Amino acid sequence: MLVVVTVVFLLIHLIPGDPVAVILGPEANAQQIEDARRQLGLDRPLPEQLLRFYARLLRGDLGQSYFLDRPVTQALWERAEPTLMLMLSALVVAIVIGVPSGIVAGAFQGSWWDRGLMALALLGVCVPGFWLSLNFIYLFSVRLGWLPVAGYASVFQDPVAAARYMLLPAVSLGFNQSALIARIARSCMIEVLRQDYIRTARAKGLAEQSVIFLHAFRNALVPVVTVIGITMAILIGGAVVTEIVFNIPGLGRLIISAILRRDYPVVQGVVLLTAAAYMLINLIVDMVYAYIDPRIRYA
Amino acid sequence: MSHGKTPWAILSLTALVLCIAAPVPDAAAQKKGGVLKVGNLGEPPTLDAHWTTATITEVLAQHIYEGLYALDAKAQPIPMLAEGMPAVSKDALTYTFKLRQGVKFHNGKEMTSADVVASLNRWGQQSTYGKNLYARVADVRAVDKYTVQMQVKEKTATVVISLAIPNNSAAIYPKEIADKFKPSEKATEWIGTGPFKLVEWKPDRHIKMVRFDDYQPRKEPASGYGGRKVVHVNELLWIPVPDAATRVAQIETGELDFADDLDLNAYDRLKKTSGVRPIVAKPYYWLVAVFNKKEGLMTNQKLRQAWQAALDIEPIMKNVAGGHRELYRMDSSLAFVENAPWHTKLEALPWNEHNRDKARRLLREAGYKGEPIRFMTTQEYKWMYDFALLSKQQLEDAGFTIDLQVVDWATLVKRRNNAKEYDAFTTGIGNAFDPNHHVYLTPNWPGWTDDEDINRLLTELASESDYKKRFALWEQVTRVFYDKVPVARYGDLFGLRAMRGHVKGFDTTLERPRFHNVWLEK
Repeated sequence: MLVVVTVVFLLIHLIPGDPVAVILGPEANAQQIEDARRQLGLDRPLPEQLLRFYARLLRGDLGQSYFLDRPVTQALWERAEPTLMLMLSALVVAIVIGVPSGIVAGAFQGSWWDRGLMALALLGVCVPGFWLSLNFIYLFSVRLGWLPVAGYASVFQDPVAAARYMLLPAVSLGFNQSALIARIARSCMIEVLRQDYIRTARAKGLAEQSVIFLHAFRNALVPVVTVIGITMAILIGGAVVTEIVFNIPGLGRLIISAILRRDYPVVQGVVLLTAAAYMLINLIVDMVYAYIDPRIRYA
Repeated sequence: MSHGKTPWAILSLTALVLCIAAPVPDAAAQKKGGVLKVGNLGEPPTLDAHWTTATITEVLAQHIYEGLYALDAKAQPIPMLAEGMPAVSKDALTYTFKLRQGVKFHNGKEMTSADVVASLNRWGQQSTYGKNLYARVADVRAVDKYTVQMQVKEKTATVVISLAIPNNSAAIYPKEIADKFKPSEKATEWIGTGPFKLVEWKPDRHIKMVRFDDYQPRKEPASGYGGRKVVHVNELLWIPVPDAATRVAQIETGELDFADDLDLNAYDRLKKTSGVRPIVAKPYYWLVAVFNKKEGLMTNQKLRQAWQAALDIEPIMKNVAGGHRELYRMDSSLAFVENAPWHTKLEALPWNEHNRDKARRLLREAGYKGEPIRFMTTQEYKWMYDFALLSKQQLEDAGFTIDLQVVDWATLVKRRNNAKEYDAFTTGIGNAFDPNHHVYLTPNWPGWTDDEDINRLLTELASESDYKKRFALWEQVTRVFYDKVPVARYGDLFGLRAMRGHVKGFDTTLERPRFHNVWLEK
C-alpha cells in the first residue's frame, strides 16, 4: 500500500500541468497563479509535499479537493454508490450472459450453438464499450424512446427510475465482460468434459444433464470465478467511459475530471480506493475458491 | 459620467424605440412553475465570481449574484444594484454611487453600502478586471447606508464598465462573506442578490437553484444582462453532462430542456429534430495563435508577420465550423460585431492575406532557416486542435517548419506561463467589453505583449473619457496590432446550444445564457 501511495503521488505530480491555472481561468496572469499556488501549498518542494501527504494519510485524511470545496473522503463516499451499483449490475449481466453461453458452447463443442456463441463472444471482446453505448443510446433512447439517455437515480430512493437509468450502462458494460467469461467457461468445460470421471459418469448411465451440471460444471467453476474476480476489478477501474457516456456520477468520472484538472488529492484518493478494492476482491475470490472446491484449504 | 451627450441621447432613443418595437410578451401567457433542466459541460472550478474567469463559473454565478451595473443589449453599462449612473466629480476623480434601497440578499439581509465596499475591495484584489481597475483606485468608502464613493488616482475611463462586465465580475456579496474569505481564498458560501438562489451543489450531479421570492426587479425593460428580471420557473437545475454526444441525445429526447456548448457537427441533426431549436451563440471566441514574445524564434516580428501573411483563414474557419457558414464569421476587428461601441471597420489591414510570396519574403528577411516552431494545442477543445492542424499545413506550404505539440489543457495552461517551453499556442479570445480589457495586449498575460506603442495607446485609452477620442485610439491600437502581430487573429467562431420548443422567453442574442424571464409551456 505504501508503494502504491508513493507511486501515485509521484506519477500525478510528474505530469506537467497546473491545477491553479485551470481554476483561475484563461485570463489569469502569472502573479495571480503564484499567489494561488502558495495558498494551496503547491509552491513547496515535492519531498515536503510527499511527507505532508504521508502524515495526513496516517490520520486517515486524504486532503481537500482543489475544485470540489470538500474533503476527498467525502467526495469518494458520494461517488461510491453509483460506481458500486454500476459494477454490480454489469457483473450480473456479464455472468448471466457469460456463464450459460460458455457452458452451452463447451458442452456442445463444434456445434452451431458453439460457433454462434463464440462468434458473438469475439464480437463482444472486439466492440469498444463507448461505441456500443452510443449505439444503444441512439436505438433505445433516441429512436425508440424506451429508456432515458443518461443520468442516475439512487436505488434506495427510486428503484424503478434507478433500474431504467442503469439498464443500458449495465448491458453495454456487462456485454463486453461476458465475452471473456464465456470464453473461459467454454474452455474449462471442454477440459473438464475430457476427464476420466466424466467418462465414468457417462458410462454408469447418468443423463447428460446430470453429467454436465453436477459433475462438469462445478469443477469448471474455479477458473471462471477467477475471471469473474478479474472482471470485477476491471469494472471498478474500467467503468470510466461508461460513466462519462451515461453521465453516472461515479468514481470513474471523478478521476477523469480530477486528472484533467490536476486535482492531485482526488486522483490519489481514487487510486488508493481502487487499490484497496482490488485487494478486497482478491481476498473474496480466494475465499470463494475454498467454498467451491473443498480440496482448496488455506492454512 | 463625463461621456459626450450624443451617444447617450442616441442610446436612450434606441432604448425607447426598442421598447416600443419589441413584442412585449403577454403577461398572462407566461406560465409560472416547473423545473428547467440545463445540461452544461461540467463542474465549475468555483462559484466565487471574484475568483476565476472561467466561462462556466460566469454563467452560473450570474444567476446568483448581481453587480452595481450590468451590460445591456448594446454592451453598454446600465444600473443594476446602483440606482442610476454614478455622479462624477468635475475633476473626474470621485465617483458617487447611490444604491437601490430594499434590495435583499438570499439570507434575508438588506444590501447596504458596507456590503458593497467589502465586496468591491475583495474583487479589486482578486479578479483580473478588478486588479486592473484597482491599480488606479485610491479609496472606496461608504458615505452613508446607501451611498458609496470611489476615489481614483487619475482620470479613469473604465470604472463603470469594469463594474458591469459579467466575467470575473464585481458581484456584491454580503459583507460577512466578503470579509470571511480572503481574496486569495475561494469563497465556499454563495449568497447574492440575484433572481435565483442556490440551494444545492452536488458535484457531478447537479447545481440546484430556485426562484428568490424576495427579489426586487428593476422597472426598466429587460435588455441584455440587465433590466427587469422575473423568474417564472420554480427551479433551475444545472446538470453537468461532460460528454457532448450525450448532451445532444438528451436534448433530442427531452431529458434536458436546454443544452449548452454542443458540438458544431450536431447542428444539422438538431435542425432536423422536431421539438428542438438549435441556437447559434454569438459571439463565442475569435481563434488565435498567441506568440511567445519573450524568448525564442517568435520574438522576431518578421516571423510573426510571415505567419499572419501565410494564413488563408476562410477554409480554416469553415472546417472548424463543420462546414456551416452560419457558425463562423470572417472579421478582423479586435472587438466583436456584437460589441458595437468598439467594433472597428478598418480597411486594408494585413489580415487573411493568404499571400505565400509575402510570407516567404518575410521569412527570408527574418533569416529563418527552417528551425522548428513549437506550436502548442490541445484536443480537449476540438476547435483548437482543428485550427492548429490546418494552420500547420498552410504555414509549412509557405516555408515554416511547425512542431505541433498536442497536450492536454491543464498542461497547456501551465506551459504557456513558461517562456522556455513554446513559441506559440492556441486559444480563443472571448468578448472584451472595453479596449483596456484585452488581455493579449498586456505584458502580464502568457505570450507577454510588451510593445511600447501598444502600451502607450492603452495608457492613453485608460485615462481618456471621451468616447470618440477613445474610439480613434482604439483604431490606432488595431493598426499597430496588425503591424506588430503580438498574436495571429483568425476568424470568429460561434457556439452552439439548443433548447426544446416549450422553453419560451429565452433571449437568443445573449453571448451567455440567462434564465430569468424564461418560462416553460408544457
